[in-house]
Amino acid sequence: MALLEIDDIHVFYDKIEALKGVSIAVDEKQIVTLVGANGAGKTTTLRAISGILHPRAGEIRLGGESLADLPPHEIAGMGVVQVPEGRRIFARLTVDENLQMGAFSRNDRRAIAEDKERMLALFPRLKERLKQVAGTLSGGEQQMVATARALMARPRILLMDEPSMGLSPVMVEHVFETIRAINQQGVTILLVEQNALMALGIADFGYVMESGRIVLTGRGQDLLEDENVQRAYLG
Amino acid sequence: MTDVVASRIGLPKLSSLARFTFVDVILWALRLAVVIVVVGGTIGTLLKGRYAAAQWFDLVMFGLTIGSVYALIALGYTMVYGVLRLINFAHGDITMTGAFAGYFLASSFDRSGLLDRSPILAMAGILALAIVTSTTIAVLTERIAYRPFRHVRGFAPLICAIGVSFFLEQTFRGLFGPSIRSYPDPKWQRAAIDVLGFSVPRVDIIVIALAVVAMLVLYVIIQRTKMGTAMRAVSEDTDAAAMMGVDVNKVVVFTFALGGAMAGIAGVFYAFVFKQVYFFMGFTPGIKAFGAAVLGGIGSVPGAMIGGFFLGLVESVGPALFLDGIGIPAPYQLRDLIAFTLLIMVLIFRPHGILGERMAKKRA
Repeated sequence: MALLEIDDIHVFYDKIEALKGVSIAVDEKQIVTLVGANGAGKTTTLRAISGILHPRAGEIRLGGESLADLPPHEIAGMGVVQVPEGRRIFARLTVDENLQMGAFSRNDRRAIAEDKERMLALFPRLKERLKQVAGTLSGGEQQMVATARALMARPRILLMDEPSMGLSPVMVEHVFETIRAINQQGVTILLVEQNALMALGIADFGYVMESGRIVLTGRGQDLLEDENVQRAYLG
Repeated sequence: MTDVVASRIGLPKLSSLARFTFVDVILWALRLAVVIVVVGGTIGTLLKGRYAAAQWFDLVMFGLTIGSVYALIALGYTMVYGVLRLINFAHGDITMTGAFAGYFLASSFDRSGLLDRSPILAMAGILALAIVTSTTIAVLTERIAYRPFRHVRGFAPLICAIGVSFFLEQTFRGLFGPSIRSYPDPKWQRAAIDVLGFSVPRVDIIVIALAVVAMLVLYVIIQRTKMGTAMRAVSEDTDAAAMMGVDVNKVVVFTFALGGAMAGIAGVFYAFVFKQVYFFMGFTPGIKAFGAAVLGGIGSVPGAMIGGFFLGLVESVGPALFLDGIGIPAPYQLRDLIAFTLLIMVLIFRPHGILGERMAKKRA
């Protein structure tokens, strides 16, 4: 059984059907990526998983348990944590406070302190910025804060929405290295990306979305070599 | 070509002059009028020298006293706005409920003699009851009247807030009658004490000191506790906070409770100063404190504090300083006019207030 199962969900914005029956499965310890053009419904899918939007039909299950109709904070409490599109760090809070907010559902102080040390080892740049207001950081550093904040929750599955958006090529490289490193530490990842080349390159499994539907699925490598994918997304 | 020349010699560009509309003329006239009144009045008053140093000191002390009440109330407006983007127009009336609760306890303490015998104990009891009352009513208001409107756009939540305001006023009128009740006035409050060689009523010092303590406690709660941090996170990005596991409803209740507690304290202090309690007493300080919150930058906690003290000082010192000098008789009658003129000026010329950010930036 997959860790996260999305089973034929339909999501509406008022009367517009944004997801027309999307099914995705993410196995434990995998990196699964969801690629596709702007407006295909990738972010909508992640928002539905996090409980910000509620599917009108279909089911979302974590380890067999239904997430439908749970409020976002309970879904986060169950270990489904998101690094949202555009990072959305708390710009007026310090880096330290942002990390604390990531651990909001947890009460094990000592383990939280340990995890913070681990985050600072993973992102040494954040160490000297700890007391700084997060809004003053560079885009790349803000992405680190957003990722570290989510990891502070000790997620069972990490949802990442366009982590490379708006970053310099060097930073993009760094982001993908980090994703791989986090995954190697045992964190399951569902990655949404427009940068299909990079995303499929590190993914175990890939889904290609087009206007609210999954149009293609396969192993990351296979999709990279697929003619249709190459024509549509990889130029 | 003319533009280039104009900018080189530092004149306004002709093109920008052409965009100078009728509204701009009025706005500049308004600015000019205020500057003339403020500067002219101040010079006039000081030349006349009708007020002695002791009188100025009295005015400043009273300004700080009433300003600390405004600041306490303004905190409730600004915190709720920060978290929900809602102006809680019932907040002034929540202040009133605290004042009423405190009044009943104070009167019974007065009859039993406790108010004179152990002032500190009596005051602690009065404040505690007022805090509990206001907090309870604030939290109930949120649960019953605001939560169903949480995801409604447009004017409905605002209209509902105004409705709650009327409801509280009329309920208290129905329960306790429309008359003005006089608050107990024990000797220890009236007694003057010596500050920098001037005599100040003790009640002013009590109010200012305790209000500052209350605000410091609030500030520590917001800055240092987990719920306080969550509150700041929610006011910045509700969805992101929820995705981090923050129960937004809990944070909203926490916010209303904190605001209610501050309003309860403010209600007691307002009654301490003016010695009156009645069902409509929350309206004027409520509106003024809302002005103070806007003045400081709505959504900003330090802004609400600064705005409250600033408004209190301006409305206390303003009439004597600005209006007396331009020959207006009985300037004190115009105290509220000064306060509301200040509010309007802020809304026109600096809508984001002293410490607030521009709305557009916040939304983005």
